Amino acid sequence: MSAENSIEIFDHQLVRRHRQRAAINFNKFSFLFDEVADRLKERLEEINRRFPDQLCLGNSMRAPENKADILNFTGNSTDKNYPAGIEFDEELLPFKPASFDLITSNLALHWVNDLPGAMIQMQRALKPDGLFLASMFGGDTLTELRHSLMQAEEETTGGVSPRVSPFADVRDLGGLLQRAGFALPVADSDTITVHYADPFSLLADLRGMGETNALLSRSRKPLRRDTLMRAVALYREKYGRADGRVPATFQILYMTGWHPHDSQQKPLKPGSATTSLADALGNLSFNNKAP
Amino acid sequence: MGENSQKPDRKLLEILVCPVTKKPLRYDADASELISEAAGLAYPVRDGIPIMLVDEARETPEE
Repeated sequence: MSAENSIEIFDHQLVRRHRQRAAINFNKFSFLFDEVADRLKERLEEINRRFPDQLCLGNSMRAPENKADILNFTGNSTDKNYPAGIEFDEELLPFKPASFDLITSNLALHWVNDLPGAMIQMQRALKPDGLFLASMFGGDTLTELRHSLMQAEEETTGGVSPRVSPFADVRDLGGLLQRAGFALPVADSDTITVHYADPFSLLADLRGMGETNALLSRSRKPLRRDTLMRAVALYREKYGRADGRVPATFQILYMTGWHPHDSQQKPLKPGSATTSLADALGNLSFNNKAP
Repeated sequence: MGENSQKPDRKLLEILVCPVTKKPLRYDADASELISEAAGLAYPVRDGIPIMLVDEARETPEE
């Protein structure tokens, strides 16, 4: 149920089913979400500000404090430690404008079809000077798995179908934040490499996190056993370390943006300077300085 | 058990709108539903948790 002209990439009902299945045992697999949640919380602590009304999207973010005068709840969580207070579609936010002081989203936005649309709605749901702080998976995520599966599928079936999601690129995010109407936008990234005993434990983890393939264009046929075995062999061969363990790359993108407010720093209007640049530079060799 | 008798958070109800029309919702405590008259949809509230998903909502007959 989204706008007619938007491009559907992900199957939202399937994403929800994956999350519900993952919820049963999520604590065993939540380490990546916990780690990134900690990094988001560190960023939040650096901002010396109280955020009374909060919406946390995704897993492992702050638990709701049930105080009557503040709103502080989690949406769409599979994490039992942070139970959901509401469920909704990230592309169809059910909130009045100017409802929140803070919206955080931890590794939840990579399944959104219309990311610009979702971000515009979050910008509107924020109060003036409210903060949007989010993490999401970036383009280098699972690059080893993507390449191994692609090559294995080509070798064993003669064709390739998408099995790992396309992810956003950090270079796109600054512009995306600006287009969504956020002030003072910042985007950056870091990389977390997880080492697994073998590629099978990586696949088990992805399932446990509720993060298996939900692409609409995914092949409806299950992965053939020979394809899987070849992919695992390629993964070991190309990326395996001397001790037999294999790395899996997770690129994490971070975004910060503020709902515009008069108190925020802005560039001055051109021509509004009261001091000449020459004065600022100490009049080194400028001869045409005004008297 | 009466698991659906739990009321959603009062402050949450104040800021909720219909995700499709962005119009106000009416809370029906007996049916445990949030009703969007503009969209003709009733969103369920389960264990006090509003489920604001169109494919989980019940279509309401036109009045």
